[in-house]
Amino acid sequence: MVEFQFIDWFWVIMFLIITVGIGVAFYRLGKRSQSDFFLAGRGLPWWLPASSVYATHTATDTPIWVTGVVYKYGVAGLWYTFFAAWCAISAFVSTRIFRRSLTYTQAEWNTFRFHGLGAEMLRGWISGWQVFMNMFILGWVGIAMGKVCQYLFGWDLWIGLVVFSSLCAIYVLAAGYWGVIMADFQQGIVAFLMILVVSVWGITAAGGPSTIAAKLTSMGEAWRMNPFAFTGWFDGDFPVAWFITMMVIAIIGGFGMGTSIDWYVEAQRIQSAKSVRDASYSIWWGTALVLTRNSVWAAAILGFYVMFPNIASQSDYEMGWFRLGFEYLPVGLIGFFFAAIIAIHVSTIASHLNLGAMYFTRDLYLHYFKPKASEKELVWVARIATLILLLGSFFYGLMMEDITSWLIFALWLMAAGIWLPNILQVVWWRFNAWGYLSSWIANLGISWLVVWILPHFNILPVLPDYQQFWLLMLLGALVFLPVTLLTKHEPMEHLVKYYVQARPIGWWGPVKREAQRLGLLAHVEMKNEGGK
Amino acid sequence: MGFIRRSWTPGEADEWTKEDWIAVVLSAASYILLMVGTVLSFLLNIWGFIILALGIASTYLMHWIIDPKLKTVSEEYEKKQHQYLENLEHKVRWEEIHG
Repeated sequence: MVEFQFIDWFWVIMFLIITVGIGVAFYRLGKRSQSDFFLAGRGLPWWLPASSVYATHTATDTPIWVTGVVYKYGVAGLWYTFFAAWCAISAFVSTRIFRRSLTYTQAEWNTFRFHGLGAEMLRGWISGWQVFMNMFILGWVGIAMGKVCQYLFGWDLWIGLVVFSSLCAIYVLAAGYWGVIMADFQQGIVAFLMILVVSVWGITAAGGPSTIAAKLTSMGEAWRMNPFAFTGWFDGDFPVAWFITMMVIAIIGGFGMGTSIDWYVEAQRIQSAKSVRDASYSIWWGTALVLTRNSVWAAAILGFYVMFPNIASQSDYEMGWFRLGFEYLPVGLIGFFFAAIIAIHVSTIASHLNLGAMYFTRDLYLHYFKPKASEKELVWVARIATLILLLGSFFYGLMMEDITSWLIFALWLMAAGIWLPNILQVVWWRFNAWGYLSSWIANLGISWLVVWILPHFNILPVLPDYQQFWLLMLLGALVFLPVTLLTKHEPMEHLVKYYVQARPIGWWGPVKREAQRLGLLAHVEMKNEGGK
Repeated sequence: MGFIRRSWTPGEADEWTKEDWIAVVLSAASYILLMVGTVLSFLLNIWGFIILALGIASTYLMHWIIDPKLKTVSEEYEKKQHQYLENLEHKVRWEEIHG
């Protein structure tokens, strides 16, 4: 337990007033229309959504998770966090294509890219899934805050969950995405500064960088400073084969949409940027901050390791970075540190509240229930959806005593079997709604089989996660490729419209030629070879 | 650097060219170099500073290559955006799209 002094509580209360106040101050802008409530009117310069990308992906459980993998694997554990690098390619490929679609959500994008009943079924499925997933993530992140508050003050779990998510909901309800983005900017700065301060403080407490290196060497554990310290090509729990799989998933995944669960959050930031260029830079720089932040944490966690090298319990060593802050910072700064933790927490909560509400309002309520709804009505529906998501997150959070394995499974559902279809929908004109829909349905069944059922009956061994990924991808392809090729492609008129507006990359030859034949594209003689 | 094109017409910028491919390769390299360089620099490892400097140089080069093209793409697209947004609203409300 940590004892706060007056100055510590002063920082915390000041921060809460400022962060809620900044969000609420944009009430008038947020209530103007659904475009304002969900996308801040599509007029943001790149650095605002970039700060939101960074702030959203800095959640209460993020330092716990990063500490866990770095404490276990040394600096090489950073590769676990490298999945964020899908933005390396996405920033200049799928982000550009998605921004040109102008669709609010990934669910809406399906009716832009595909056509007819299949497209509508995809839209309905993805929007429902996203409403559920956002509530799930809110509960997961919320209960992590409950655990941090229990660790710090001995509070019951529900207090940390309910109090801070509710305070955050004030400005999300009032100003929607305007509130989210403005608060994220301020919260991102506070969080980044405090991550730097605590990490440098922790490194200093461990004796400084030279002492950390010397101690690790004397302990025979200098490998912990090697970013490429793997356990073999295929052996051990951290092999090169895992690393290569991660590189493929992360980097090549950038050609697609939805290859990472973070895409759904980023998609909203992409559409809120004022131009294609701003959208690209917002995604690139937000992710660059995320990756370098992880590096700062990793250096501090090595310091924690040399001070406390023999912690066997994962749940104990995962709190390492928080311990550096609360055990070594002086009075006053501890309160500021807790304020930064609140910033880290509410920035994530706010984003998912607004995102889940957008899928409900735009894709379910407006598109399927009441297409004639006025802008004013839609803003109110968005607020009610926000409130329901908040209450639902309390329910999920409190029932998640041990959700990690379920959550990892849910993320597999999102990532493994549909990873390739998520790329194909962008790069291959022939891929159609039925192929994509079949990949989702097949993935639901196949992932259960590969991850849970077949190993339970000893028909298949329990595979390492990277092998599960390749197997799920292969089995999924055996379903969606025949379905795609045995059903008709989307109507050419629809594909041409899509192509002219979005200008996708990849195998779009027949569609491009048809667009040129119709005079919808200027024929361009490129001076270099890449554009032919 | 004649190999890299920095002046674009709107039609040309809409095509995927080698500048895009170079940018995405540099982009991925920059992320790796910045991440590894930062952690090793915080440990005062000399290689960390070298890798971080390479990461910054790679980021600058990526920006230098892709920015003129992105500017042209954006300016041209924004002229059409209003019509596209109208179509999107018609579609979400199940209304007929004309033109």
